Amino acid sequence: MGCFCLKKLGHKPGYEAPINLASETPFTVNEVEALYDLFKKLSSSIIDDGLIHKEEFQLALFKNSNKQNLFADRIFDLFDIKHNGVIEFGEFVRSLSVFHPNAPEADKIAFLFRLYDLRQTGCIEAEELKEMVTALLCENNMSLSEDVVDLIVEKTMMEADTKRDGKIDDEEWKEFVKKNPSIIKIMTLSDLKELTLAFPSFVMNSGVSDLQQPVKN
Amino acid sequence: MRKKTRTVGKYEVGRTIGQGTFAKVKFARNSVSGESVALKVLPKATILKHRMVDQIKREISIMKIVRHPNIVRLHEVLESRTKIYIILEFISGGELFDKIVHCGRLPENECRRYFQQLIDAVAHCHSKGVYHRDLKPENLLLDSYGDLKVSDFGLSALLQQGVGLLHTTCGTPNYVAPEVLSNQGYDGAAADIWSCGVILFFIMAGYLPFYEIDIPTLYKKISAGQFSSPFWFSPEANSLIKKILDPNPKTRIQIEGIKKHPWFKKNYLPVKPSEEEVNLDDVRAVFDDIEDQYVSEQSVAKEGGPLMMNAFEMITLSQGLNLSSLFDRQQDYVKRQTRFVSRKPPRDIISSVEAVAESMGLKVHTRNYKTRLERISANKVGEFAVVLEVFEVAPSLFMADVRKASGDTLEYHKFYKNFCTKLENIIWKPTEDVANPSVLRSLTC
Repeated sequence: MGCFCLKKLGHKPGYEAPINLASETPFTVNEVEALYDLFKKLSSSIIDDGLIHKEEFQLALFKNSNKQNLFADRIFDLFDIKHNGVIEFGEFVRSLSVFHPNAPEADKIAFLFRLYDLRQTGCIEAEELKEMVTALLCENNMSLSEDVVDLIVEKTMMEADTKRDGKIDDEEWKEFVKKNPSIIKIMTLSDLKELTLAFPSFVMNSGVSDLQQPVKN
Repeated sequence: MRKKTRTVGKYEVGRTIGQGTFAKVKFARNSVSGESVALKVLPKATILKHRMVDQIKREISIMKIVRHPNIVRLHEVLESRTKIYIILEFISGGELFDKIVHCGRLPENECRRYFQQLIDAVAHCHSKGVYHRDLKPENLLLDSYGDLKVSDFGLSALLQQGVGLLHTTCGTPNYVAPEVLSNQGYDGAAADIWSCGVILFFIMAGYLPFYEIDIPTLYKKISAGQFSSPFWFSPEANSLIKKILDPNPKTRIQIEGIKKHPWFKKNYLPVKPSEEEVNLDDVRAVFDDIEDQYVSEQSVAKEGGPLMMNAFEMITLSQGLNLSSLFDRQQDYVKRQTRFVSRKPPRDIISSVEAVAESMGLKVHTRNYKTRLERISANKVGEFAVVLEVFEVAPSLFMADVRKASGDTLEYHKFYKNFCTKLENIIWKPTEDVANPSVLRSLTC
C-alpha cells in the first residue's frame, strides 16, 4: 500500500531514507515518516520544492511569512547545517532530534549555547545577551528604557559570568543552566514523543509496516 | 566639606575596600568614638534610575531590625544631596571560610561554638521573619575576639549586585538545600537550616559534604542527602548533622530541635539579643525623601518578593523559540494568552487576580506569588485549574505567567479572555496601540 504511493510520488531533492535517519537519531522509522509528513507540509506552504525556506519557517512559527525574528533566524541558521539557506529533510530531522525528550541533556545545552552565541565567537557576550533581551522585549511590544535592559542583562551576567570577563563561555553556560534548568525547557518538545499519533496520516504513506499501527482517522 | 577632609557626618572616610555596580564600600572611622566602620556609598541617581528605592529601603530596614551580637550591625543611614551612606560595623577578622582554607578543619569544640553562634543569629532572624537564603562560610565573618558575625542578612539582593565581599566561589550550589535546587517554592527557615548543616560539616571536616566536579551528580547527591561523615566526627555530632541534612524539608530538624540536641547543648551560652528599640526614622527620612522626587510607587512592605526571572529565562519566552508551533495541526490561531506584564507591586497583582477570580466564582489559593485558580462544578463539566505566577523581570517590572494546569482547554480559553478584560487596570500596556486588543495577544508565547 504505502510503499507504492511513496515510490510513485518520488522524492524531492534533499530527501533521505527514514531508516537511515532513524538509525542516527532517537526517532523510530515510523516517527521519521511522521516527521516527513510534517516536513512536506512545512516545505510546501509557499514553494513546493521539498525544502523549507526562511519564509516558510516564519509562516509556520508566526502564521506570518514576513515576520522577522532574531530567534527564529538563529534556529533556522542552526537547522540549516549545510548553510545553503534552506532546510532539507535530513537537516530537519537531525536538528529536531535534539529536541526529543530522550535526547541527551548535554546536546540540548550545547545547542542553546550555539543559538545564543549570535556571532559565533564561542562565547555569549554581554552585548549579545542585551541584543537578545532587546529583541524579546521588542517582539512583545514592551518598551523598556535602555537602563532597565542594562540592569536585566547585568544581573544575569553577574550570575552567569563567574569568571567576570564580560562573556559566558561554554563552561559557565553549563553551570548556569544547571542552576536555572527552566532555560532549557524550550529544548524539549513533547510533541516529538507522540509523533505518530499527532500525524496519523503517515500510516497511509508508511514505507515500513508495523504490527501495531494506530487506528486513528 | 571640600575635597581635603573627606568626611561624612562624623565619619572620616578612608580607602575603598570594595566596589560593586551599585555601591562602593569604604573604610571609615567614627571621629567621635574612634570606632572603625564600613561605609557603603550608594549614589541616589543610580537607585532612582534602577527603581530600587523600595527594595533598598526594605533591605536596609531589615538589617536594622535584625540586631544581634552575631550579625554584622548596621549603625545608621545618612544622606547627602546625591548619595546615601550606610554605616556598618567593620569586622576585622576575615572570613571563616579563609580560616578553614588556610588552617584546615577546626577542633570539634571550636566548631560547636561557631555553630551555636550561627544558630543563635539565624534563630533570631527567623523569629523576625527574615531569612538569609545565602548562608555559606564566606558570609560568616570573624571579629577580633574570634566571635562569629553573619553578614548580609537582608542584603541579599544588594549583594547580588556585587556589593560587599568579593566571593571567589561565587555560584557553587554546594550549600543550597535540595528544595531550593528543585526550583520549587520553599520555606526559607528550613533552607537556612540546611545551609547551617553544610557549614557545620564543612568546618568540622575541612571539606564539603556535597562536592562533585560534575554538577548533575552534585545535584543528585544533594537531593538524596547522600554524604558520609569522616571518622573523626563524634557520634553526637554525626546524629545532629544527619538530622539537619535531611533532604525532606518537612522532616528536617528545626531550630528548636537543634537547640535541644545534646551535641549543641554542650557549653551553650545563649546570647540575649539586646532588645533595644530599633529606630527606623533615619531610614525613613532618607528614603521617603527620595521617593518624593519619584511618582509614588507603593512599597511592598512584605519580606521576600516574587522570584526573579533572569535574562535567559525571558528570552525563552520568544515565540521564535517555541518550535511546538511547528506541530500545530489545528489552524486556530487563538493562541493561549499566557503572559502579561504589570508595573504594579506584586502584592497588588496577586490581590487583583484573587478578587477577579473570586468574582468569577473560582476557588482561589495563593502561596507566595503563585496563585491557583480552580473552577469546580458538581457534574465535573467545564472544570479546569489555572496556575498564575508572578516573576520580577526588572525592578518594578513584573510578569505574570498564566497556564492551564488541568481541565478543559476551551473553557480555559473562554475564562482567560474574560479574566484579562477584568484585569485591565493592572496589565501594563505598551506605549502604543493601547486600543488594539491584539497587542495583548502578542504578549504571549
